[in-house]
Amino acid sequence: MKRGSSRTSVKKDLEEIVQTCNSIENRQFSPFLLDVSEALRILRLHAGDLNRLEDHLLDMRAITGIARVVGLQSSQLRFQSTSLFLDPELAKQKLEGLSRQQLAEFFLLSWHPVTELEQLVMPAVKEASEYWKKMLSFFERRGKFDLGQFDSPGTFGLGDLGSSGMMEDQSFTERLQGLWNELKSRAKSGEGVEYWSFVRSQDFRETVSRAQLVSFLVSYGYANMDKNGDRIVLTPNETPVLQTEGSPHSFPIPIPWEKAPA
Amino acid sequence: MTVEPRKEETVYSDRLKRAAHMLFFKRGKIPGARTWELRTGLGKGFQKTLSDLDDVLKDLDLEVKRVEVQSLGETQASLEGEEDYRYFVRLKGTLTPKEARMSGWRIDNLAAMAACFGLIVSKQGKCERKELEELVAHKAGRWRTLTLVDTFLRTGYLEEDEEGLVKLGWRTRAEVDLQALMMLLAESKPEAEPVGVEEEADQAAI
Repeated sequence: MKRGSSRTSVKKDLEEIVQTCNSIENRQFSPFLLDVSEALRILRLHAGDLNRLEDHLLDMRAITGIARVVGLQSSQLRFQSTSLFLDPELAKQKLEGLSRQQLAEFFLLSWHPVTELEQLVMPAVKEASEYWKKMLSFFERRGKFDLGQFDSPGTFGLGDLGSSGMMEDQSFTERLQGLWNELKSRAKSGEGVEYWSFVRSQDFRETVSRAQLVSFLVSYGYANMDKNGDRIVLTPNETPVLQTEGSPHSFPIPIPWEKAPA
Repeated sequence: MTVEPRKEETVYSDRLKRAAHMLFFKRGKIPGARTWELRTGLGKGFQKTLSDLDDVLKDLDLEVKRVEVQSLGETQASLEGEEDYRYFVRLKGTLTPKEARMSGWRIDNLAAMAACFGLIVSKQGKCERKELEELVAHKAGRWRTLTLVDTFLRTGYLEEDEEGLVKLGWRTRAEVDLQALMMLLAESKPEAEPVGVEEEADQAAI
């Protein structure tokens, strides 16, 4: 087929080749999408019509692009000849079909972590020494805050840790189980429980905590959440039902301050 | 009178100790030591010393691993024609899921890492970040994906080039047996996600 030799057509053909090469380099298409001999034939066909400097530059870009694609084709062939080769589409399908547990196990079977120990080096020692020299004494720094006399040391038991929120009284699993049982007992008639009536508690902190646990109950299939207009209803499941089809959805529920009991 | 048998003491050479120090202790951004560093520190026969160290470490389930400097993305610093490698000490065997969790990695993160490596390798070592994030989001959710990919980039498992393409990082080259991983993926058969309150709640608590 004879191609038109007008300048516009030359420019269009060369730009198309350059664009295809760029897309291939950016891994948008397979390197074998480009028919190299056809591309070279087009370049040869237009070789006589290149008059201006910009045409020559475009021609040069097209040739370099084709050369790079040939390089990619070569590396793909080399890659395919090793056992690392797996078709990208097939790989994607496999990866999407495997469970998280399976993927993690495969990774662990091929993972050999490197050992690395941190050590002090001279510049770090010098920096630390300078910092130490410049640092004010503890009493001078303390004096700035006007904290008064020192308190004598006291004891801090597990109960104190629990009440100050530094340690949980129950494990996460126990709390989740407890809330699930509570939901089941409150929804005994077979109907669901209104979300806010279930989540709302004596103080705001507890309300937030219950809302968080409810989100886990729903995510792990211990309960279903349905929205009927403004009303959100929670229905417990007798056994956890996990949705394996489709992608998970996020459903944010803001907890306004007014939801806290007066 | 009975004579107690004398305890046999193993004596390691200074060169062997120095080699262990050089490989175990991190001096720069990347752990391990390069060919020129080892030649300077241990002398010309450093390869023999490393082979001896490898024998000693074998009993501890560790090994000396040699990786080409170019594949780690480092600049070559050796004379022309001379091979340049970085040597690491790494685990010879593998970790159990429990051990991996104790070392700070969630099972979800390891799964995401396997998915990233699988996709990048199948695409000949480079892949668009968006495509990678879409794949990880399928398993881990959109929000966590953004943090996860950033974590993998920060820890050296992945690298991002100026065109926004993501490739395998130095740590993956040093730590992951990609051939084994791809083989496992190719031979795998999908199974449903396990349902277990213990495990899931444990994950959530970490």
